[in-house]
Amino acid sequence: MLGQIKLVFFFIMLMGAGGGLWYVQHLKSENEILTLNNAKLNDAVEQQQAVIEQQLRDIEAKSELNRQLNENNAKLTADLKLAEEKFNKVNASGERRDIGNLALNKPKSIERIERKREQQRARCFEIAQGSPLTEEELNATKKSQINAECTNIANPNYIPY
Amino acid sequence: MNEAVLSVLKSHFGSDKVFEDSTHIIDDLGGDEFDVVDIVVQIEEKLDITIPEEETFDVVTVSQLNEVVERHAGSN
Repeated sequence: MLGQIKLVFFFIMLMGAGGGLWYVQHLKSENEILTLNNAKLNDAVEQQQAVIEQQLRDIEAKSELNRQLNENNAKLTADLKLAEEKFNKVNASGERRDIGNLALNKPKSIERIERKREQQRARCFEIAQGSPLTEEELNATKKSQINAECTNIANPNYIPY
Repeated sequence: MNEAVLSVLKSHFGSDKVFEDSTHIIDDLGGDEFDVVDIVVQIEEKLDITIPEEETFDVVTVSQLNEVVERHAGSN
């Protein structure tokens, strides 16, 4: 009888040990799967971070491009305003200047003015490419002395009045 | 100063401006080279005269403009 009880206890203990062993194995297996999943998640996070960083760089590049475009647009708008003033200037009586009509009436005068402006434009390109300003350009303070095509860069001491 | 010259200058730049012999059309009145040509054309039309272009190339002051106009105002 005692032997039978010992045998039963032995089997119970054996089953308990087997169950424990199975449970530990199961935990190890799940732990491996979780470790793998964690590694995949880490990879995914790194990839996402790389994508986000790239997007931030793209946004920065676009912002810089936008800033440059706005800057160029402002310069072009200023140039356009000057051109409009040249061709569409309105006098004190509200009459709009008609360059075409002036050119018909006084072709030599208009050609002479345009030739002078052409020379001024050429000088603007020289200055933009690094040519130093002359004393005359630096000392220009009156409207008749300035380079009308690019006053901002050619005559830094000229203050419009 | 010739009345027609003064009238055109006032009409072009405004009657509030000062027009003296030494007044510079570009520096003092805020005009440009095209304004000088424009004024000459207006004066020609007003007085029914013709001023040779070469005579107006160097006009920058009111007195120079007046002199050029006076030379032709009576002769046409």
